[in-house]
Amino acid sequence: MLDVDCISVCYGQIRALRRVSLKVPRGSVVSLVGANGAGKSTLMMTIAGALRPTEGRIAFDGRPLPAGPHRVVAAGISLVPERRRLYANLTVRENLLMGAHLRRDREGIHADIDRLCGLFPILKERFSQYAGTLSGGEQQMVAIARGLMSRPALLLMDEPSLGLAPLITRQVFSIIADLRRQGTTILLAEQNAHQSLEISDYAYVLESGEVVLEGSGQVLLNDVRMQESYLGIRKKNGRPVR
Amino acid sequence: MEGLVLKLPLAFQTLVTGLAIGGIYALMAVGYSLIFSILNFSNFAYGMVIMLASFLGYFAMSGLGLGLGPALLCAMLGAALLSFLNERVAYSSLRRRRAPPLYFMISAMGTSIFLENMVYATIGSRYNAYPELFAVPTLNIFGASIGKMDLFAMVFSVLAISALTFFIHHTRLGIAIRGASYDASMAELNGVSLDWLIGTVFALAGLFAGLSGVFLGIKYMAYPNMGWITNKAYIAAVIGGLGSLPGAVAGGFLLGVLETFVSVYLSSTLRDVFSFSLLILFLVLMPSGLFGKTLEEKV
Repeated sequence: MLDVDCISVCYGQIRALRRVSLKVPRGSVVSLVGANGAGKSTLMMTIAGALRPTEGRIAFDGRPLPAGPHRVVAAGISLVPERRRLYANLTVRENLLMGAHLRRDREGIHADIDRLCGLFPILKERFSQYAGTLSGGEQQMVAIARGLMSRPALLLMDEPSLGLAPLITRQVFSIIADLRRQGTTILLAEQNAHQSLEISDYAYVLESGEVVLEGSGQVLLNDVRMQESYLGIRKKNGRPVR
Repeated sequence: MEGLVLKLPLAFQTLVTGLAIGGIYALMAVGYSLIFSILNFSNFAYGMVIMLASFLGYFAMSGLGLGLGPALLCAMLGAALLSFLNERVAYSSLRRRRAPPLYFMISAMGTSIFLENMVYATIGSRYNAYPELFAVPTLNIFGASIGKMDLFAMVFSVLAISALTFFIHHTRLGIAIRGASYDASMAELNGVSLDWLIGTVFALAGLFAGLSGVFLGIKYMAYPNMGWITNKAYIAAVIGGLGSLPGAVAGGFLLGVLETFVSVYLSSTLRDVFSFSLLILFLVLMPSGLFGKTLEEKV
């Protein structure tokens, strides 16, 4: 469904991505793994239309990606950005409405809000509160819900577990697994390699702006290089030590 | 000494007069704040839109012989268009190049100087008085006399500001304006077309410029350099907290009332000295104003 073909992205003189290619098939969860500064967020922002590649092409549903983030949303791609970026001056309800900005079906919007409140009970509790007053974990739930309000065909999630307590992180991953079961196509960027590989169909490893490794989630989980660099597993006397 | 003693009737009269001018300041400050909230710079050209609106209202009434209502409508629509064009011509290309706010300010000053001198060159430097609207211009309320036009302006200002408040809290576009004022690039990622949104905000601010231009013209006549009275709108907006709409309203009324008290009880020559001192005081001690919130991002 999403086909990123050999793109490079530059910030001024600095090349943040070098000839990166990846594919996200419909209905799958694909993850991007890599350390801080590897280019995960740059790639996400580029797919969302906020950055423009200097070379290469991105195709979505067989058509070239439109220019400008607001057109990309209209085409069916929605981003849950790094650090959530909720509108702190808007209530939870208004944040969700922002997610549905391009939709005109009033009833459908309200039905979706009700449905998401069922999925994330915290939304109901904090419905009329300003988003800036929520805890980090609560904000992440709102950010995911806001991302879903546009009914995207493809959901981009950038570091959804960043800065969250382990318990909340587990909750976030179980939500992603739920979304996947419901058939949402997801591209997930995560530093938390272990948990993201476990729920992914396929994964790419980014290092200084380049794809250095790719494979199915299970294959990467068992890859030696992967274990040493990202999964925190060292082999000592042939036995893994965590 | 006698002047310093607060006599109740005089104090009440001063309050009423202050509220009347405060209403106009509030109108101007609201338009000003709207633009500031979304582009983060002080649009000095806004004053020139107010001045042109004032002339529009004047020509509509004394040239075409229209009544106050149609003249207000003309001025508001004309100012909305001018304000929109102001953004398209002077700012949109800077915006696309992601220029820093200083560039916008310089462009705004250039626009101001151009518009002001264009009026000097084409219409002339005369003061143009609006035609008298009421046979008996004043009204007596509890011993204080208030101009009927002042009363009308005040009521209309409150109505217009209430309508705006409703609009930005309860409509899809209004919520998008508030969202974009907090994080414009995120709003784009949610599907908001910034070009469109910013155009709307300028047109909206223009409607308010139209209203305040006509009210100012009726009170003080229409003349080419009246646009600089928006310095008062700037002060009002700073007092309330730049970018905050309730702040702009409160700042407008507060400034109007305080100023009037200073001119009545101290000296009218001290009025502007007082206002600008107040501005400096706020900028130094309370830069976020009375209502400006400092919202922190949670990591």
